[in-house]
Amino acid sequence: MTGAAPPIARLQGFGWRPLGRKQQVIADLDLTVAPGERVLLAGGSGAGKSTVLRAFAGALGTTVAGDLSGRVEVDGPAGLLLQNPADSLVAATIGREVAFGPENLSLPREQIWSRVHECLDAVGLRYPTARSTAALSGGELQRLALAGVLAVRPGLLLLDEPTSMLDDETATTVREAIVRAAESTGAAMLVVEHRIGPWLPHVDRVVVLERGAVIADTTSDAFVRTEHERMLRAGVWMPGAVAPAPLDVPAELVAADSPGADLDADSITVDLELRTLRGTVRTRALEHTSARLAAGAITALTGPSGAGKSTLLAALAGLQPLSAGTITGAQPPFSRRRSRQLAAASGWAPQNPEHGFLARTVRDEISLTAGKLGRRVDVDALLELIGLSDLGGANPYQLSGGEQRRVALVAALAHRPAAMFLDEPTVGQDRQTWAAVAGWCAAAAAAGATVAVATHDTDLIALADTEIAVARRQAAA
Amino acid sequence: MKRLLPQANPLVLFVLGLLPVFGSLLVRTTPHALIVLASYAVLAGVFVPWTKGVLWRLGFVAFAAVSVLWSTWLLGGNQADNAGIAALRVLVLATPGALLTAWVDPTQLGDQLAQRVRLPGRFVAATTAALTRFTSLGQVWDQLDRTRRARGTGPGRNPLARIPWAASMTFALLVAALRGGTQLSMAMDARGFAAATRRTWAEPAPWRRLDTIAAVIGAAVTVALPLTLALS
Repeated sequence: MTGAAPPIARLQGFGWRPLGRKQQVIADLDLTVAPGERVLLAGGSGAGKSTVLRAFAGALGTTVAGDLSGRVEVDGPAGLLLQNPADSLVAATIGREVAFGPENLSLPREQIWSRVHECLDAVGLRYPTARSTAALSGGELQRLALAGVLAVRPGLLLLDEPTSMLDDETATTVREAIVRAAESTGAAMLVVEHRIGPWLPHVDRVVVLERGAVIADTTSDAFVRTEHERMLRAGVWMPGAVAPAPLDVPAELVAADSPGADLDADSITVDLELRTLRGTVRTRALEHTSARLAAGAITALTGPSGAGKSTLLAALAGLQPLSAGTITGAQPPFSRRRSRQLAAASGWAPQNPEHGFLARTVRDEISLTAGKLGRRVDVDALLELIGLSDLGGANPYQLSGGEQRRVALVAALAHRPAAMFLDEPTVGQDRQTWAAVAGWCAAAAAAGATVAVATHDTDLIALADTEIAVARRQAAA
Repeated sequence: MKRLLPQANPLVLFVLGLLPVFGSLLVRTTPHALIVLASYAVLAGVFVPWTKGVLWRLGFVAFAAVSVLWSTWLLGGNQADNAGIAALRVLVLATPGALLTAWVDPTQLGDQLAQRVRLPGRFVAATTAALTRFTSLGQVWDQLDRTRRARGTGPGRNPLARIPWAASMTFALLVAALRGGTQLSMAMDARGFAAATRRTWAEPAPWRRLDTIAAVIGAAVTVALPLTLALS
C-alpha cells in the first residue's frame, strides 16, 4: 500500500438482482469511499442510488431479498437515515429512541444517557427526553432519527433522501444538522437526494449513476462546470437550472367528459384520531380553515411541513371526515358518495405511493379504475408519458421509489377525472417526470378540470393559478 | 384509586391477564363462575378507569362468550347448563385481560421482561419496537381505505361485497406491515442491532410495594378464589 488510508467503505464488482426481477439492476460496480469523505450520489430515478446505500448498510441479501454478487466492505458501523423518519422509529419517547443504539452497544446506563443528551444537543432537539415521539413534526423527527444514528458513532453516514419530504426551511435545518454532525465526528457521508443544489457546497465529490453504472466521478466544482448539460438530460436537478417547461400532454389523455366544479371549503375543522394500544388520541389538524378551488385552474395548497396541507386536500376530496364546517360545490358532495360514484368525478394521488397499489402489474394498475368505470385508457401512451414503457409488466411493488410514485400518480388519474387532488406529486422526481406531472396538471386544468396540489415544490407552486397557504396551528384538541 | 392502575408494573398487569387461564379451568359450576365474576366486577369498579378502549374490549369478550354459548347449545345437545357454564368460563378467562392490557406500556414491559424475567435482549427489543409501532398500522389502514375509495374499489352498497374488500384490505395491510418491517429492520441494524448479542437498558425495571399488592390481590381473585371454591 502507498500512504493512503484504507477506505471506510468499498464495493468491488458489486451486482444486485432484487427478488422477482429477471435482470440485475446493478452489475459489476466499483465504488470506494475514503474516511471522512463526503460524497453525493446523483442520478435519475431508478439509477440504483438507494441500492448502493442499502448495500453499504448491509441490508442487501439479508433484510432485503435478492441475489448479491461481488464484494461489499464497510469498516465499522454505518448509520442509515431514511427518507421517512417514521419508518425507523423504535421507541415511544425521544430519549429511548436515541438510547436504542447505545443499548445495542451494551454501554452502561450513565454512558447511554450522556450519549443521548450529547446527540440530541448535536441535532438541536431541546426537549425533555420523556417527550413522546408522536409529538414531533416531520423535520424534528428526521433530526431525532439523525441523533439515533449518531449515538452509535458511525464512521459512515448513509443518507437516503433525508430532506425530500420537507419544506425548504425545515430541509435547511435538517441539512445543517447533518453537515455539522459529519464535521464534528469526522464521519464519511454518502448522500442521495434529487434536489442536489443545497448539498453541493457541503460535499467533496459527486458520483453520478445511470442504470447502475458510474458515468461521472468528480469534485463538486468540476461536476457543476462540466456535467451540467449531460445531467440535465439525465433528469438531474442541477443547481441554478430553471424548471423544465411543462410537457405538452395531449388533451385526450387527461381531459374529462364534463368540466369540474368549483369547490368551497367553508370554515372547516378536522380532528385526526390516532388509535394507540392505550386508547385514542385526538389532534386538531385544521381549525376554521376556508379554501376555494376553482374549476379550470390549478390551486396549490402550501405551508410548512405538518401544517395540514394533506388533511385539507383529503377533506376537499371527500376522503377526510369533518368535525365542523361544510364543503360545497359537488353534487352530491364527494364525502357522501359511494366509492365508484366518487371515482367517476375525482382522482386522488396519495403522498405514500405504495399504500395505493391494487394490481399485480403496472399496466393493470393503471387501467384498474377506468375499467371499473367502463372508460377506455391508452395505457401505452401513459406509460410513455411517464417514462415507464419498459416496465408495464413489472410488479408495482418491485419498482424504485421514484418509479412507484409515477405509477401511483398515473393510476390515480388515468380515468380522466374532472377533479384532481395530488398530494406532493413531485417529491423525489427527476426533471422529466416533473415536466410530465406539471404538463398533466396544466392540460387537465385547461380542459376544465379542478386541479389541487398539496406541495412544497416552489417550481410547481409557480405554475399554479392560485396559492392557498395553510398556516401551522399550535394548539391540540 | 383509579390512578393506581395506569401506574402499576406492566409485568404484573401482563401476568394477571394470563393467570385466569388456570382459574377458568377450576371453575366448574355456575355459582362458582358468578362468584369469581362478581369479585372481578368489584375490583374493576374500584380500580379500572372506564375508557372507550376498555368498553370495546369488554364488548369483544361478551361477543366471544355469546358465540360460545350459542355453539355449545347447538352442538352439545341443547343443554342450557353446559352452554351457560362454557360461556361463563370464557368471561372468567378473558375479562381480566380486557380490563388490564390497555394499561400495559410496551416500553416498560420490555424493560421488565429483559431485566427482571431475563428474557433474551434481542427478542425483547424487537418485540418492544414492534408494539411501539402498533399505532402506525391504524394509519396505514386508513390510507389503504382512502386509496380504495378514491379509486372506485371501495365496498359498495351490498354488505356481502364487504367480505372480499376486507380480505383485500387485510392482505394489503400485511404487505405494508412487511415492508415497514423491512425498513425498520434496516434502520435498527444500522444502529448496532445486527451485532448486538447482548444489550444493556437505558431504564431500570423497578419493583415497588404497589406492585406486590397488585400481584397479591390479582392472584387472589384469578387463582386462589377459583381454587378455594373448587376444593370446598
